[in-house]
Amino acid sequence: MFLAWKEIKYNKLRYTLITGVLVLVSYLVFFLSGLANGLEQLNREAVDKWNADGIILTEESDINLPRSNMNIDDFNGKGVEAYAALGQLNAIASVGERQSNVSIFGIKEDKLIMPDVTEGESFSEKGEVIADDTLQEEGFQIGDELEISSSDTVLTIVGFTDNARFNAAPVLYTNMDTLQQVRFGEAADNNEGVVNGFVVRGDNLADVSVDDELQVVETSTFIENLPGYTAQNLTLTFMIYFLFIISAVILAIFLYVLTIQKVSMFGVMKAQGIPGKYLAKSVVAQTFQLAVAGVAIGFLLTILTGFFLPAAVPVAFDYLTMLLYGLVLIAVSVLGAFISVRTIVKIDPLKAIGG
Amino acid sequence: MPALEMHEVNKVFGTGHTMVEALDKTNFTADSGELIVVVGPSGSGKSTFLTIAGGLQTPSYGEVMINGHNITQMKEKKRSHVRLHEIGFILQASNLVPFLTVDEQMTLLDKVKTNNLSEDELQDLYQSLGIEPLRDKYPSELSGGERQRVAIAKGLYSDPSILLADEPTASLDTDRAFEVMKMLNDLTKKRNKTTIVVTHDTRLLDYCDKVYAITDGEIQLQQREHGNS
Repeated sequence: MFLAWKEIKYNKLRYTLITGVLVLVSYLVFFLSGLANGLEQLNREAVDKWNADGIILTEESDINLPRSNMNIDDFNGKGVEAYAALGQLNAIASVGERQSNVSIFGIKEDKLIMPDVTEGESFSEKGEVIADDTLQEEGFQIGDELEISSSDTVLTIVGFTDNARFNAAPVLYTNMDTLQQVRFGEAADNNEGVVNGFVVRGDNLADVSVDDELQVVETSTFIENLPGYTAQNLTLTFMIYFLFIISAVILAIFLYVLTIQKVSMFGVMKAQGIPGKYLAKSVVAQTFQLAVAGVAIGFLLTILTGFFLPAAVPVAFDYLTMLLYGLVLIAVSVLGAFISVRTIVKIDPLKAIGG
Repeated sequence: MPALEMHEVNKVFGTGHTMVEALDKTNFTADSGELIVVVGPSGSGKSTFLTIAGGLQTPSYGEVMINGHNITQMKEKKRSHVRLHEIGFILQASNLVPFLTVDEQMTLLDKVKTNNLSEDELQDLYQSLGIEPLRDKYPSELSGGERQRVAIAKGLYSDPSILLADEPTASLDTDRAFEVMKMLNDLTKKRNKTTIVVTHDTRLLDYCDKVYAITDGEIQLQQREHGNS
């Protein structure tokens, strides 16, 4: 560490620039991880809130909730600890000029997917809904009467709940009758009992027996099959992993060029008997110091940026993931230093001193 | 036991018609307390002699003994250990690390080797070399003469038994060159070291105990009219 730190102190500008590059790379990695996490939550937080182990959908739905249609009598809870029927409809809700995409969930009040009300009260009458609080941030209020696209039914917000977005749309929770009214209008009575799926809790989902037309899907599989979810995650994860490689390559190039410039100095030191191992360790220690500084500053900058981001930016920082990515960044940077280590080990002190 | 011995050392570069014999059947002995100057023109084999003596390269034939240990057959790691513990180098190109102060140059050696000079001994060495006020200076803040004196201090700090100097006065004017040679001579006697200076500068001969001349790889002890001044 001695040589490493002394050199950094002496060549402040040079090493500040290298650290600066690492700060920018780690900032981008942390920000992208926050974005990936935020977008994930945007899609899945209502599903996470169910705290369920699986969902029963029709075979032909291709694990897509809106395309799954069955009767409420198709499953009686056999083989699971708890279950709840779920009806779902995507729509546009509007009050005057204010509009928003929404996902309407039809549920039974006494069932496991009933959300906690954070403001206002729960729905009790037909036409009442509990809304996700992101709608509140958009300006919707308790008492607002929502016009729903392709329906004559008007829904009234009676309360708000938190963390309730499904496939990037805020959820409106209501009872089954209201959902059927919105979905089928005057034909609601003819479609009584139509639901999209059953949310289930149980340890052995594989043993749950359902009709041939139905399938039991694990929650994780259901989430992965949400439209766009996996493609979006893979893209962002690919970018993050690529940034790891970029970071390693950038630092490796910088250190290699610096090492080449110092071949003569290292050669003289080796001629004096200073072991190549000590010099190699010094380069690795130097990389470690620069990487830790770069990643730490990048981390702080990311957190700081988080405070100033508008609510519309779907960033949610998961500190554990960020810590893991930070450690990976440091590790790949140190890995990049090993190219220089190889160079140092191979320096012939005789050639370096011009013998 | 001599500090440094060479027996029938021969160094050959290349093969066939491109073969060059840089050192030819060299026999050489240096004892403690001796300052020996090896003179010769460029390309005469001086550097080859010094680098073989210092274990930086191995001879094609023959043996090199450092304090009774044959370093010829040693692996590089072990020779590196011998260089660190037994040999101090003062190189033509400054052997100072540019980003370390004078004091830190010595601290670096403390990191890789114990039994270096004590703080009091280092203080004495600084004073005898006149570099005490320069302890916190970086090499770039020193003049050529000061850098050379710091390089000598660095060469001596690990308390080696043998000091090998390659053109230590190359970058110095005449007065400074004499000053450095006088210093090397004093330190050799006072600390009972073996100092071998390789140079083409014949002005320096007055300060040494023995002079060897090297021509086309052949080294010969020179008879002198008067000794060390």
